[in-house]
Amino acid sequence: MFKLHGSIAAKLVLGYGLLGMASMVAVSAVFYVGTIGVLDQNIDGKIVTLSDRLLEQRRSPQSLELVREVNRQLSDGIDSDREIFLVTGADGRRLAGNLTAWPKADGGGDELLTGDVVRDGAATRARLYLRPLAGGGMLVVGRDLGEQEAIRGLVWRALATGAGVSLLLTVLGAALFRQQIDMRLSAIRRTAELIEAGDMSRRVPVVGDDEFSQLNRDINRMLDRIELLMDGVRHVSNAIAHDLRTPLSRIRGKLDEAVRHPSVEVLDNAAHDAIGHIDDLIRLFERLLQIAEAESGLRAQLFESVDLNRIAEDMADMYDASAEELDVRLTLVLSPDVAVHGDRNLLASAVASLLDNALKYAGAGAAIELRTARGAGTVSIAVCDNGPGIPEHERGKVTQRFYRLDKSRNLPGNGLGLSIVSATATLHDGELALEDGAPGLVARIILPVAAETSGA
Amino acid sequence: MRCLVIEDEVDTSRYICKGLREAGYTVTACANGQDGLDLATGADWDVIVMDRMLPGRIDGLSIVEKLRRHGNQTPVIIVSALTSIDERVSGLRGGADDYVSKPFAFSELLARIEALLRRTAPGQDGTQLQVADLKLDLRAMRVTRDGRAITLQPREYRLLEYLMRHEGQVVTRTMLLEAVWDYHFDPQTNVIDVQISRLRTKIDKDFTPMLIHTLRGVGYRLSASAPQSGV
Repeated sequence: MFKLHGSIAAKLVLGYGLLGMASMVAVSAVFYVGTIGVLDQNIDGKIVTLSDRLLEQRRSPQSLELVREVNRQLSDGIDSDREIFLVTGADGRRLAGNLTAWPKADGGGDELLTGDVVRDGAATRARLYLRPLAGGGMLVVGRDLGEQEAIRGLVWRALATGAGVSLLLTVLGAALFRQQIDMRLSAIRRTAELIEAGDMSRRVPVVGDDEFSQLNRDINRMLDRIELLMDGVRHVSNAIAHDLRTPLSRIRGKLDEAVRHPSVEVLDNAAHDAIGHIDDLIRLFERLLQIAEAESGLRAQLFESVDLNRIAEDMADMYDASAEELDVRLTLVLSPDVAVHGDRNLLASAVASLLDNALKYAGAGAAIELRTARGAGTVSIAVCDNGPGIPEHERGKVTQRFYRLDKSRNLPGNGLGLSIVSATATLHDGELALEDGAPGLVARIILPVAAETSGA
Repeated sequence: MRCLVIEDEVDTSRYICKGLREAGYTVTACANGQDGLDLATGADWDVIVMDRMLPGRIDGLSIVEKLRRHGNQTPVIIVSALTSIDERVSGLRGGADDYVSKPFAFSELLARIEALLRRTAPGQDGTQLQVADLKLDLRAMRVTRDGRAITLQPREYRLLEYLMRHEGQVVTRTMLLEAVWDYHFDPQTNVIDVQISRLRTKIDKDFTPMLIHTLRGVGYRLSASAPQSGV
């Protein structure tokens, strides 16, 4: 029907089947002892009592009383079709009773045994109590076991039938169980195969709310995440291929020209230019690694309690000269109690990136506010400017790596700033929200409040 | 100054050794962990520059750990292509004094070596720093040049103090960010340059000689002498 090897369903059902059988055997044993066993004991008791009563009257075979009593017992019509009696004399001759043939066994003393006898000419199985008489001879009191055997047979047949039916049910159940599990699993396996073949958009169908549905939902969520990451990687490789080509060809061109027209001054300039460009590229890779690091969550191990106000003050302090140079008014608006559990360098770097952007895009004469705020369960640090802002349909894209609003790419930058800020926020279980400042842009890093109990 | 360079990559090793020799160091180089450990423990060095990953069973980190366990406090700078913050932290926790990521500008490495040597052997006396006619009174937190008082913001004061403490040495932007603001990240824009140029306006504008020199692509140096060519 199915292979036992390698099928969890089969193993489970087999296990439960065996367990069911074992419990049935136990129940049957109790039942058997409680019926047949009790009946057997009953019979033994009756035989012994009856023989005791007979012997009380006379111990001698010659006693007519004993013979008469036996004959009376046999003819009283009570139970006489199952009673067995035999009285023999010292010479072994039958004096009374309904046994045609001698019981096979005969011993020296009182003896209880089960044997085949011939009673009134019919062979039967009987329980016999053999008791020697005082003057020689023997009294045999017994009981026909024919009915007993019939009951015993009935019980055995019933038990066997039960066992057979339950075995059949077990096997059927196994098959059904197996089929059910197979059906649910094959949905997952089909999806996996399709995804393996390259169709990342496939998802496992979710029906109902049982364990499999929960598992399928988890798998789907995992697939969503993987697809997102793969999209990110694809986008990044395209962007890298594109964005690295430009500086590399510039370096190559300059060096090439310098080699063709060598003079100390030209070579010196070319070398310095090349170093500058290469440093930019190195910085670009470091930023990419920084994103990867933030996204991997590795840095979360180094988290400590960080006061966002402190970061806001430090960054304002760091950028006030740059702001002043551009004639930008940089103001701080701080709220109390804005501690988070995080990495102060990453958070400071994120805020610095946002300030960089604000200065770059809001431009000369703008007003920039660096704000901290506390909400329900969250704290935030936001950079608000009154510059041109980001059109709504672009807001989702600007956090992608290498995405730039400035399509001409005239302004300095590598299109990684906001994706790092976003990755940093995500690493801290928060998010980067870009909102319309009407006018301008509000770039808000929203983070969960530091847990009071962590004490970190 | 005796410097031990433990680096298995031939080009990088040559690059470091050549630069250090030009800067006046006596340099010994070796290319694997076991030799490195023997040399490091077998002689006195002023500074050790080593790669994080070395061929053989002993890597850079375990050399530092062994040295420190034996009470050897020679300054160690780890140079590594493993740039993540975790690596940096484990390097510094392991006992290294500084950590420079590959690829690096030699001037950055030299600046950090010099900062380390200066740190282990402080020069100026405890109450006042002086370079040419520029004086910084550490107690009163007052700055004068040519006898005229110069008003500085607290941050400008810290910048100047750091530059003066590292007089004649190259100081990179990252080093300034670490020392003055106590943050470790790479400032993407010219934010540090703007700060320096402000400071320069106050310190240098109306005076000669110029004291704060810019080294293109590297950082800054505060000194009374004319700038040497960038390394």
